[in-house]
Amino acid sequence: MTSITKDRARVSRTYLKEVVADGGGVRTSTSLLLLDTVAAIGFAAGLAGGVVAVSSGVLAMLPWAVLAGASGIGRGACAMLAARVGARGAYRAKTRLRRRIVTAALHRLPGSDATTGTLMSAAVDEVDAIDGYVARFLPARIAASIAPLIVLAATAVASPIAAAVLVTTFFPFVVAMILAGGAAADESRRQFVALARLSGVFADRIGALPIVLAFRAEAREARALGEASEDLARRTLGVLRVAFLSSGALEFFAALSVALVAVYAGFNLLGLLPFPVPETLTLGRAFFVLALAPEFYAPMRRLAAAYHDRQAAETAAERLAAIEQASVAPATVVPTWPRTLPSIRFDSVSVRYDGQHSAAVSDVSFEVRAGTIVALVGPSGSGKSSLLHLLLGLAPLSGGRVSIGDHDLAEIGSIAPIAAWAGQSPLILTGTIGSNIALADPTASAERIAEVARVAGLSPMLLARGGLGAAIDARGGGISGGERRRIALARALLKPAPVMLLDEPTAHLDADAEARLIEVIAHVCAGRTTIFATHSARLAAIADVVVDLGEIA
Amino acid sequence: MTAFDTLIAGERRRQRRRLWRASGYAAVVALASVVLLGLSGWFITAAAVAGLAGTIAAQGFNYVLPSAGIRLLAILRTAGRYGERLASHDAAFGALARIRPALFLGFAAGPADHALALTQGEATARIVQDVSVVEAQFVRLSAVPGMITALSSGLLLCALGGWRPALALGVCLAGVLALATVLARRLEAPGREVQRASGALKDAFAGVADAAAELRCYGAEAAALAAVDACSLRLAEAQRAQAGVSGWFDFIQAVALGMAGVSASLLAGPSGAPIAALCALAAVMTVDGAGPVLRSLAQRSAVREATARLNELLPDAVAEAQVANCRAAPSLALLGTHLPAGARVALIGASGTGKTTLVESLLGLRAVTAGTAFIDGTDIAAIPLAIRRATFGWAPQDAALLAGTVRDTLALGDPLADEAAMWAALADVALADVVATMPHGLDSWVGEHGVRLSGGERRRLALARAYLVPAPWLLLDEPTEGLDAATERRVADGLAARLERTMQGLVMVSHRPAMVALCDRHCPIVAAPGLVVTLPTATEPQPRRSRRR
Repeated sequence: MTSITKDRARVSRTYLKEVVADGGGVRTSTSLLLLDTVAAIGFAAGLAGGVVAVSSGVLAMLPWAVLAGASGIGRGACAMLAARVGARGAYRAKTRLRRRIVTAALHRLPGSDATTGTLMSAAVDEVDAIDGYVARFLPARIAASIAPLIVLAATAVASPIAAAVLVTTFFPFVVAMILAGGAAADESRRQFVALARLSGVFADRIGALPIVLAFRAEAREARALGEASEDLARRTLGVLRVAFLSSGALEFFAALSVALVAVYAGFNLLGLLPFPVPETLTLGRAFFVLALAPEFYAPMRRLAAAYHDRQAAETAAERLAAIEQASVAPATVVPTWPRTLPSIRFDSVSVRYDGQHSAAVSDVSFEVRAGTIVALVGPSGSGKSSLLHLLLGLAPLSGGRVSIGDHDLAEIGSIAPIAAWAGQSPLILTGTIGSNIALADPTASAERIAEVARVAGLSPMLLARGGLGAAIDARGGGISGGERRRIALARALLKPAPVMLLDEPTAHLDADAEARLIEVIAHVCAGRTTIFATHSARLAAIADVVVDLGEIA
Repeated sequence: MTAFDTLIAGERRRQRRRLWRASGYAAVVALASVVLLGLSGWFITAAAVAGLAGTIAAQGFNYVLPSAGIRLLAILRTAGRYGERLASHDAAFGALARIRPALFLGFAAGPADHALALTQGEATARIVQDVSVVEAQFVRLSAVPGMITALSSGLLLCALGGWRPALALGVCLAGVLALATVLARRLEAPGREVQRASGALKDAFAGVADAAAELRCYGAEAAALAAVDACSLRLAEAQRAQAGVSGWFDFIQAVALGMAGVSASLLAGPSGAPIAALCALAAVMTVDGAGPVLRSLAQRSAVREATARLNELLPDAVAEAQVANCRAAPSLALLGTHLPAGARVALIGASGTGKTTLVESLLGLRAVTAGTAFIDGTDIAAIPLAIRRATFGWAPQDAALLAGTVRDTLALGDPLADEAAMWAALADVALADVVATMPHGLDSWVGEHGVRLSGGERRRLALARAYLVPAPWLLLDEPTEGLDAATERRVADGLAARLERTMQGLVMVSHRPAMVALCDRHCPIVAAPGLVVTLPTATEPQPRRSRRR
């Protein structure tokens, strides 16, 4: 493993540790796994007692049978409860981590190249990937270091020599794990990455299917996909030969310990041991240590089974840590704003996002006088939205200067406190129409909300749906595009902000709906310093000044 | 049998040698585990009995065979498990190496609207996850043969103690399997709820992530976080319920294990202590050998859902003969406008009027209504997709690229193109100098979805790809969107020179004057359900030379 991948593994491990810092129920879950081992001792004792009592008849066997039966049920209960407690811990760890990731996603650095899609898969799928790590791997890891000692102690009580036999198999096992395990862990990490890459290629080709179809490359791409898969399969199998070695060593020593204990106990009972031992076994003791021998390696086998969970979690942790790193704390500098309307001045402003060769906006200058409306027009990609986002600290100012009244945007970071916003896909949260409007000002009175809803032209919708208390859900089911925009405009009306920003507020509306919405927009913008981005000539017509970014570029 | 089931069945047949090998190894493991513990128990107990009977009996006890057998079985079990793992993974990888491309071809052959629906990241991620669920299921195929061998060897060993312990073992195993089947059914509801909750969470998150500006202005981040959190809690709750049901699988196995051991030893008691010991341990290990099957049952509902979803994506393929490249120059008719071979037309109209939709329906990526377009007088609805696609060199509006190198991207346009042709195409889109300065030239990696290129470079690379297609018509959707005026000028000049050389026709969606000026006719697109046909502004093709001067 190169030092870079080692470093990355270390970073993601540290991150994971911090994510599950409160234990996530790991302690309870581990205790249950240890109790399971204790019950296994009871089961072995019950079987051994039963076998000894065979000669005395079924009645004598019964108490032992009850012990074994009860221990069996106890084991089941422990395993089930451990799974439940682990799931509860994972529940806490996942929901808490997801809160952090969603917060980080909302406060991502201006100019970060993360898309909604990658953030979404991080917040949902990659957070889910720590489930197995918390629920299974962590308890199994702690149990694996304690449970064998419990088994060893119980064995030693019945037969110190048998315990010594177990310890004897354990040391070569540790050596084998150190020799094979390091290489195997390395190889299996590589295999994990290779599989992820193949999935990535598959996802890419499926995602770009229209391209593949239009270029009639389906057969070629399918062949390439198949060849890549087969090639990977061949190489992976070579890797797995090594990766499975560590589990092979585990298996071998587990089986060997059972065999050695059986042979030793048998010869001891026969009195045929070729060397003197300080103990003489009885059938009960011998059978007990034999039945217990498989339990010595069982916790380590459980750990090995959860190893995949750890890899999945570490891979996810790497990306999650990057997302949290790429977020900024909300600006704390809150300047005092004068009561007058501000003017906004752009001087040779450039916006360039990370990882992009060319700037989204370069060298743009214009001024929005206090209380006037400026329309930004120009083709998609000419940077209209970037300029609006810049004012809210959502896009990076990579050159030039933006002044709002007497303030420099570079110092204050954002004019969000004095701005209202309406975009082309307004946020709808599950709740009522009223609560969605009230997002702009949770303290607003019901009368005020009803007033802005009326001015925004929501009356027909309210009539049809039964007033402000009507429920709407996050998917916005049943709400038309025009109605969504009106909700956004009602929000803007509710907040008495001196600056109004609108991002394509009439996009995807038919001409009729657009004309009606423009009236409301004109009303909303009255008495504010306004900037809007639009493709619509009719909307641009209500502006005092039109800035064509396509011409500037 | 569904299409996907047929696919899987075919792969199982193809991989049957590896699967047989995996099953064989699984059987060895199961047999060795059961007999190892049974024999050990018998050996110890019989040795104790012999030891108690005195030195002579002990000397007469044949310890060589059992003790050698125990060691042999220990080695067999280890080797078997190693072999099983390798063989089953070998089979799974081999099968998936064919299932992935087959699935891909299946989607590709399906109805066009499927193809466009699939471009959403969510759907793609879903498919990839579903395929890995199927892969894991392939690895588990050797579980059943393993269990059957464990059961038969367990039954044989228990039969040494009479029919009662054997029957008890059979009942225990049957019971645990029956219970596990019931549990597997009970897992279906939480499994579906996990899917739904996960979808709701993704929707909620996407809504909030896209509304960052609004949240900033209104300081509504807390409300948005709370809304996402509610969905997050719902998903986590559903997953917890799922884990709760899965926990019962552990419970029933442990209980069955105990019951099998206890009842076998009790019922075999009359046959003497050594046989009772043998029966008890053999019964325990038999139930233990059913573990992989139980785990497979725990995954059953997930596998069923995954295969059902994959099957939905595998519609009945539309069989079509492969058509050679369309080299003859056909005429076109779009929305009633006749376009002779080599004509240049600009589709114009406000955004949202369906220009891109028209382009995509020409390529058969969307369903098309009869009468929309004709190639050489034949309605495209009646023309095979392969011919329609071979007619056009397409530059899509979103300039989508496949992950790969510049060369891979261009080869998609024409797999037979040589380097000279590639460089010529790059020069025509004003990209040759950019690619020449890249560290690996044509072999530079452009990254997934072209992320290492700027928006403008991506668009021009997609344009170069379209130029390379040996098709009689170029179909360019907003080819210079987002380019600066100087670059646009160079691209326009390159396109004009290229058309002059290749005599290709041009259908272009653009409202940039520099590009529209290349066209000799305009075809306005109106957003009306009936697609009103308007006469082009210039019905007579103007002499091209005079325009460029």
